[in-house]
Amino acid sequence: MAFTCSLLVEDRIAKITLTGELDAASAGGFRDKIAEAALLDPRALVLMMENLDYMASAGLRTLIFAKQKMGAGVDIYVIGAQESITETLEMTGFQNSVISLPTYETATIEHA
Amino acid sequence: MDPLTLPATLESLEPLVQYVLSAAAAAGLDRKASYRLRLAVDEIATNIITHGYADAHIDGDVVVNASVDVEQLVITLEDWAPAFDPRVQEDPDHIGKPSDERPIGGLGVFLALKSVDRIDYEYRDHKNRNILTMNRPRAEA
Repeated sequence: MAFTCSLLVEDRIAKITLTGELDAASAGGFRDKIAEAALLDPRALVLMMENLDYMASAGLRTLIFAKQKMGAGVDIYVIGAQESITETLEMTGFQNSVISLPTYETATIEHA
Repeated sequence: MDPLTLPATLESLEPLVQYVLSAAAAAGLDRKASYRLRLAVDEIATNIITHGYADAHIDGDVVVNASVDVEQLVITLEDWAPAFDPRVQEDPDHIGKPSDERPIGGLGVFLALKSVDRIDYEYRDHKNRNILTMNRPRAEA
C-alpha cells in the first residue's frame, strides 16, 4: 500500500498520521513533515500509526532526526503501532525513546 | 520461482518486496515471519542500492531468487557492487542511547541480521551473494 503522511498542528501538538508502508523510498516524505512540524516549535510530536502496515530502518532514522530536530524536551508519542512495528522499535532500543500508546489519550498527551 | 532482475534503485524495492512476499506465501510463512523476511530483504537491498552502488558511483542490478524445500525458504540477493559482508558489521553501539544521541545510520543491517533465521554471504567473481533463510512452519501431525 502506498505511503501517505499528513500533518496537523493544534495547541502546539504536532500530529503526523502515517499510512501504508514506510521504507527508504518513502521516508523522505515523513522527514519533510518532521521538518515542517519542527518549524512550529511543538511541545509534543504524535505519530498516528494505526494504519501503518510496515516500517523499515528508514523510519527509525527519521525518529532520530525528529528527536534531534525538536530537542530532547519534546516527547514523541507512537499511537496504535502494530505488533511487528513495535517489535522493530524494541529490537533497536527505540521503545525507550518514544511513548507508545494503543490509542490517542488526551489527558496523557495534551496535559503532560 | 524464476529469479527477478531489477535495477538497483529505490523504485525497485516495491517489485522486489512483492516477489519476496509471494515466495513467503507460497512457503506457508505466517504473517509475522513474512514481515520479518520482508524487512530483512528490504534492508539488505536498500543497503545495496544506497551504499553498495551509490557510494561507488556506479549503476547496476540486483537479482533476487527464491527457493523452497521442505524445511526452508531461501531468498538470495545478488549484486555487483563492491564487496560487503553484512555479518561482519558490529552491532550498533547506540542501542541503549537516547534518540538525540544516536547516529543516523547503522540500523538496517542490524535489523536484517536479527529478523531472519540465518544469513550467509559469499563474494565470488565480483558478485556479492546474500543468502537469507527462514525456516518453514512444521506441518501439523
